[in-house]
Amino acid sequence: MRALIRFGKQPRLRFISHLDLQRFFQRAVNRTGLPIAYTQGFNPHPVMSFGSALALGWTSEYEVIDIKLSAPMGRKRTEDAVRAALPEDLPVLEVRMVDDKHPAPMAQVRQAEYRIELMGESAPAVIDSIDDFMKRDTVTAVKKTKSGEKEINARPLVIDLKPDPNGFTARLMLTERDSIKPDLLIALLSDMAGVEPPEARIHRTLLLGEDPEGSLRPLMEL
Amino acid sequence: MTLSDRIEKLFMSVQKPVRYMGGEFNAVMKDPASVDVRYAFLFPDTYEVGMSHLGMKILYHAINRREDAWCERVFSPWVDMADLMRQNDIPLFSLESRTPIAEFDLLGITLQYEMSFTNILEALDLAGIPLLQADRKEGPFVICGGPCAFNPEPLAPFVDLIALGDGEEETLQTIDVYKKWKASGLPREEYLKMAAQIPGIYVPSLYDVNYNPDGTVAAVTPKPGSGAPEVVRKAMVTDLDAVQYPEKLIVPYGEIVHNRIMLEIFRGCTRGCRFCQAGMIYRPIRERSVDHLMEMAEKLVSSTGYDEISLMSLSSGDYSCLPELAHNMVERFSAKRVKISLPSQRIDTVLTDTLKETQKVRKTALTLAPEAGTQRLRDVINKGVTEADLIRSVTDAFEQGWSAVKLYFMLGLPTETDEDVLGIADLAEKVRRCYFSVPKEKRAPGLRITVSCSVFVPKNDTPFQWAPQLDYDTVVHRQQLLRQALNRVKGVDFKYHAPDVSYIEAVFARGDRRLGEAMELAWRRGCRFDGWSDQFRYDVWLKAFEDTGLDPDFYATRPRPVDEVFPWDHLDCGVTKKYLLREWEKAQRAECTHDCRKGCTGCGMKRYPGACAGKTPPEDMQ
Repeated sequence: MRALIRFGKQPRLRFISHLDLQRFFQRAVNRTGLPIAYTQGFNPHPVMSFGSALALGWTSEYEVIDIKLSAPMGRKRTEDAVRAALPEDLPVLEVRMVDDKHPAPMAQVRQAEYRIELMGESAPAVIDSIDDFMKRDTVTAVKKTKSGEKEINARPLVIDLKPDPNGFTARLMLTERDSIKPDLLIALLSDMAGVEPPEARIHRTLLLGEDPEGSLRPLMEL
Repeated sequence: MTLSDRIEKLFMSVQKPVRYMGGEFNAVMKDPASVDVRYAFLFPDTYEVGMSHLGMKILYHAINRREDAWCERVFSPWVDMADLMRQNDIPLFSLESRTPIAEFDLLGITLQYEMSFTNILEALDLAGIPLLQADRKEGPFVICGGPCAFNPEPLAPFVDLIALGDGEEETLQTIDVYKKWKASGLPREEYLKMAAQIPGIYVPSLYDVNYNPDGTVAAVTPKPGSGAPEVVRKAMVTDLDAVQYPEKLIVPYGEIVHNRIMLEIFRGCTRGCRFCQAGMIYRPIRERSVDHLMEMAEKLVSSTGYDEISLMSLSSGDYSCLPELAHNMVERFSAKRVKISLPSQRIDTVLTDTLKETQKVRKTALTLAPEAGTQRLRDVINKGVTEADLIRSVTDAFEQGWSAVKLYFMLGLPTETDEDVLGIADLAEKVRRCYFSVPKEKRAPGLRITVSCSVFVPKNDTPFQWAPQLDYDTVVHRQQLLRQALNRVKGVDFKYHAPDVSYIEAVFARGDRRLGEAMELAWRRGCRFDGWSDQFRYDVWLKAFEDTGLDPDFYATRPRPVDEVFPWDHLDCGVTKKYLLREWEKAQRAECTHDCRKGCTGCGMKRYPGACAGKTPPEDMQ
C-alpha cells in the first residue's frame, strides 16, 4: 500500500532545496511511527518519491509525496501521523491511500499551475504584455540545459495566462520533454515589454496529470 | 517591510540560506509576550558547526523547559551574509523569531575554541551592541561559558559574566537572578554584583589585575566592596541522571557536521592525559545509567527520526557498562534501522566485543589516537597506551573487516626530539604490516592509513600549562622530517598544517586581559572565522600584536617558572594547581600516573562533596 500526501511549502521554508527536502522527509517518515517500506541493500532508506521538484525560493500548496508502506494503514491514521511528523510550515493538505499498482505521481505529471505575484515598477508593463504573448504563435527562448543552451519555442509550453492586479496565474507544461519554468516566462514577458524582470513571488497551486482517457485532472484525483 | 522580509531578500544572494532560515522541526516557538526573559544563545561559528554541538542542545532545552523564558539560537553569519547584513542595515537576529539580538535580555555565548573569539566581536558589532562591557548602558548582558571560559581573560573587556563548569543549573540561576534584578529596578552594574554570588559565575569587571615588571601577573583580586569571591569555583552537576536531557532535538534541513542523535553517556574522564584540557576541566567522571540512556535514546529516536545514535563522551570506550549498553542498543534499535556509533575510540579499551556489536549495523574507519610516536613520549604525556595495545587493536580490526585506519598524533609535545617524531613513521609501518599479516581471504581489500599530525598547543588548567609551545621553525623542520619518513611507507596519507593557527591559539589559550586590545585590532582589520583556513590571516594577527606592543612569544613559547601566577589562577576548575604541578614534574621524568578508577590520584575533585565515587586520597596528595 502507498500513501499519496499533498503538502504545502510555506514562505519561511521556501529556501530549502529539493535535495535537502528529500533528506528531511527520510527522517520525517521515520518519526511517523507508520510501517514504512525500506529499500533493500547495505544502506536501506524509505521507499518514497516526489511528484515534482519545487525550485528554491518558491512556495506551494500542491506538493505530492508518495510513501510506500509495508502494511495496510487507514487514511485518517496515516494523515494524523504524517501531520505530527512535519513542521507547521509544511502543512499536510490531503492524503489518499492507493495500492502498489497505482502509477507513480512523478510519471503522471503533465502540467502545473502557478500564482505569480510581481513587485516593483516594471510589474504593470509585464502584466500588460500577457495579451501580446498569448496572441503569438512563436516566442523564441533560450533554455539552459545540462549540455549547454538551446533555442526553443516557448509559446506552446504556455497553456494559459490570466492577468490579475498583482501579477498573473499561469498554467504551464511540466513533462520531462516539454516544460517551462515561471522565471523564464517572466523573463520573456519582461523582454517583450522592454523592461527589467521584476521581483516575483512564485507559488504553485496545482499539479495536473493525465487520466487513462487522456483528459487532465488534478494529480491527487487520478 | 518587516525585518523578516528584509532578511529573506538576502537569501537568494548567499550560500546556504538554510543557515539563517529557522523553522526546523522541534525548534521551540513561544509567544514573546508570555515570557519574562528572552535568552539568545550564540554559537560563534557557522550553523553547521554550531548545530552539531551537544552543549547548545542541552542548554537550549533546559532554558525552554521554563515557562518564563524563551531561548533562541543564533550563529555567526558566514562572511557573505555578514557583509550583506552590514550593507543592508540588518542587525544580527535570532533564528526562531528573527528578533534583533540587541533586544534580548541575556546573550549566552559558548567558547569552544580560541579561534572563534573574533567571531564574538563580529557578532556583537553586527548586533549593534557596544564591544566593551564598560560602554554598555542597555541591551543584553553577555555571558560566556564552555571550555575556554576557564581562561576568559583575553575576552574580559567584552563580557559581563563568565559561567564556569556545567551549565545546566547555573544558566537557570543567571535567569533567576536576572528576574530579581529587573524587579528590583537597580542600575545595570548591580546585576553583575548579584550574579557574582552564583556558584560558578565570574564577573571579570569586578576584579583588578596587577602585573610584575617582567609582564607576568602579580595578582588578580576582587575590587573592594564588590562582594565578588577571591576564587571562583566551577559549577558542577554531581548526578547526570538527575538533570534533564533534551527529549527532542532540532532536526535541521540542510546537512550539518554531525547530523545524528548525540547521547552523552558520561561526562569527565579518569585517564589524566597531561595535554588534555577536557580531561581536566570536566572532572570527575559521572556516568549515566544504562536504563536512563535507553530511555533517552527511545524518546529521541521517535522525536527526531534520526537513523543514527552516537554514544558521546570524552572516551566512550571507558563507559563501565559499555558491552551491556551497546548490546541493548543494537537489540532495541536494529529493527528500526538505527545505527549505533562510538566516537573517540581509544586503543586500549576492549574493542572487540563492542565493535562486533556496532559492526552489525555500521562500519566506519577505525580512528585511533596514539598521540606520540615513542613509548617514552607517550609516558611523558601519560597517554597510558603501549605499542602492543595499538598492534592488538588494529590487528583485531583488520581481522574483522576494517581496512581504513586513521591515526592521530601531536607534534611539539614537551621533551619531544626528532627521534620521537620518526617513531610516528615506524608506527605507521607496523600498522601496515599488521594488515598484511591477516590472511588475504579474511581481510577487506584496500588498506588506507591516514596519519594526521596537529601542532601541540599548551592549555591552561593542564599539567602542560607551564610548557613552552615548540617554536615555529622547529615545528616545520619536524613536519618535513616526518613527511620524508612517511614517504617510504606505502599507502599512507599524511595530513598536517602550517603552525600559524596553533601559534595564535597558544597565545590566547594562556593569554591575559591585555590581549583583548590585540584581538579587537585584528578583528577591526578583518580577522574573523580564524578557525577556517581560507579566512585565517596570520600576517594581520602578527601586525596586530606588533601595533599593540604585545609580544606573542611571551604567551606562547616562553617557558613558565613553577611559581608563576597565571592569569586564570583565581578560577578553580576543580583540579588543583598543586596536582597539575605534580603531574608536570612527573612528565619531565617520563613517569606515568594511573587511571584514577584504579585509585584516587588526588586531583582535587574530592573537594566537591559527593562528586567522586573513589577512596579518599592520602593527606599529602590533597
